[in-house]
Amino acid sequence: MTGPASFHRLFIANRGEVAARIARACDKLGIVPVFGVSEADRGAPYLEGRESVLLGPGRSALSYLDLTRVVQAAKQSRCSALHPGWGFLSENPALAALCEQHGITFVGPSAAVMALMGRKTPAKQAMKRAGLTLIPGSDGVLADADAAVEAAERTGYPVLFKAESGGGGRGMRIARRAEEVRTAFEDARAEATAAFGDPRVYMEKLLEGGRHVEIQLMADRFGQVVHVGERDCTVQRNHQKLIEESPSPVLAPAERERTLEAAVRAAASIGYVGAGTMEFLLDEGGTLRYMEMNTRLQVEHPVSEMRSGLDLMVEMIRVAAGHRLSVAQQDAQLRGHAIECRINAEDPSQGFKPCPGTLTRFELPDLEGGAVRVDTHVASGYVVPPFYDSLLCKVIVHADTREDAIARMRRALSSMVIEGVETTIPLHLAVLASDEFGASRHDTRRIPGWPPA
Amino acid sequence: MSAHDGRRHAQELVLNVRHEGGHSTLMAPRPGLYRGAPAPDTVLAPGMIAGELEVLGVRFRLLVPHGAHGAVLAVGHEPGSGTKARRLARRPVAAGDALVVLDPARQAGASSGALAESAQGDAAGLAFRAPMGGRYYARPSPQAAAFVEVGDILEAGRTIALLEVMKTFHRVQYGGSAMPERARVLAIVPRDGDDVGASDALLRLEPA
Repeated sequence: MTGPASFHRLFIANRGEVAARIARACDKLGIVPVFGVSEADRGAPYLEGRESVLLGPGRSALSYLDLTRVVQAAKQSRCSALHPGWGFLSENPALAALCEQHGITFVGPSAAVMALMGRKTPAKQAMKRAGLTLIPGSDGVLADADAAVEAAERTGYPVLFKAESGGGGRGMRIARRAEEVRTAFEDARAEATAAFGDPRVYMEKLLEGGRHVEIQLMADRFGQVVHVGERDCTVQRNHQKLIEESPSPVLAPAERERTLEAAVRAAASIGYVGAGTMEFLLDEGGTLRYMEMNTRLQVEHPVSEMRSGLDLMVEMIRVAAGHRLSVAQQDAQLRGHAIECRINAEDPSQGFKPCPGTLTRFELPDLEGGAVRVDTHVASGYVVPPFYDSLLCKVIVHADTREDAIARMRRALSSMVIEGVETTIPLHLAVLASDEFGASRHDTRRIPGWPPA
Repeated sequence: MSAHDGRRHAQELVLNVRHEGGHSTLMAPRPGLYRGAPAPDTVLAPGMIAGELEVLGVRFRLLVPHGAHGAVLAVGHEPGSGTKARRLARRPVAAGDALVVLDPARQAGASSGALAESAQGDAAGLAFRAPMGGRYYARPSPQAAAFVEVGDILEAGRTIALLEVMKTFHRVQYGGSAMPERARVLAIVPRDGDDVGASDALLRLEPA
């Protein structure tokens, strides 16, 4: 690595799979990673031989979600950079601001950009100006119930009321008829106030039966923005993604090109720096409509890495250190088809009941010379703690065609051995074998091929 | 944070405790920079201060939790441990790091600890002494009533003064296993705003 200096020590303000992923990137860059850990994660295999600082007890509010514990731990362990990973504090502008105040480089965009994208309607207006298509709805937040009625009548039913400061599905209410609007509006306000301390609500047309498509963006401090293609994450359960693939098997080339270019312009227009993802709804007419931007790297980023050959985690750390992106758009070639399956410690046959416990056996599949990749923080003997999400590992495959990628994934999952806890592998095998998934006829409402007939 | 007269009060954190091998180990509740460890043989009881933790530039007094008491054991094999210089230096600690080990078998009277000693009083009888040097304030703000008047009966936890140390205000509370549970104030020694040294007498008392 030439050019600006890198970081000597980087603090990992996260746990589990993403913490292990950040550490691998640090190893590549010659940076010493320091892990902030909770009591529940002490002794986990990914911490072996690593430096760590105990933040507090297993409960996230007293460890991974406590801003001052995290930043103080980074400071006293002499780290000059902090990586938030995903989840936890990764989209909290206060963490970026606190790092800045204490002379620690936050690996991500500025606090101001995070705050802008966290407020839904200003973010949508900024994206619209850059040429992205929005979901029809109200102009900004709604002043009162009369304004809600007026906006709903103009837009057409069904409509969805959403919290301005929302996320995670809370503060959302549907109205399918005129007489439901006032109740839905007031309920959304009440829930938004309780959940986010902000009563403001806006409205969008409810588009049912669409697909979830997102665009991976990388930007440096010199104003260069590069897209790394799209990912189709339509196989979901309760807004939790299960399978992600790239390219989207149903997106028309012209709509892809138009939206990729607009997304790059939009990211540049707000001064975005680092890794980010714009999420879209692909409607039944084939149009990509902007929903929101995640100001961080995402769980499913390996899908884009497999197609581009780039290491996005390494790129985002280098960019934070002041380097230019290592590739220009014309060099970011996307090849073949990639699929990722998230393997969770959940029992899909029991309503996805979480299964904490001990992994008595954990054996990787044949990696087929790099065409199969497994990202994980677990090993045989690992105890899945009950405090956190249930992700055990991600299996990612790459092949020339979608059909070959599906076959490769089925081979990999069939040969993987995980014992001691139930996992979502049976679900993935059923989905991959289904005609519905094979022909890409599914949408976000239902998991294709599950439950098995 | 700031009172209307601009005084900043020190904030507090309660230490975590683990009992094992007949000793009680006081542990840091969160990451921070630790300083001001009590000297060996000091007798500590719940609510008393066992040092300070600096978290992002804010200093928290570390309080001994309920169920922990006894004399501070010298932490062995660390060069210079227990020296004044070491006690004043800040060192980074993580949540759960052991800061102070107490021997519950050694209480007031059984040791020659600083606090026990200070409670022996002098020729004038029982005295409550300053836990650290600083500027003494008898009232929370210039217009407010004094914390303590002559004749008051004190019980553990009662605030008796503020000490300003390096621009930070520390609440001085009556208590400690070396002091009587209840005591009557016979005299208040410093005047409001006086500079006092560590272990200078603040109050002359008699058991009540």
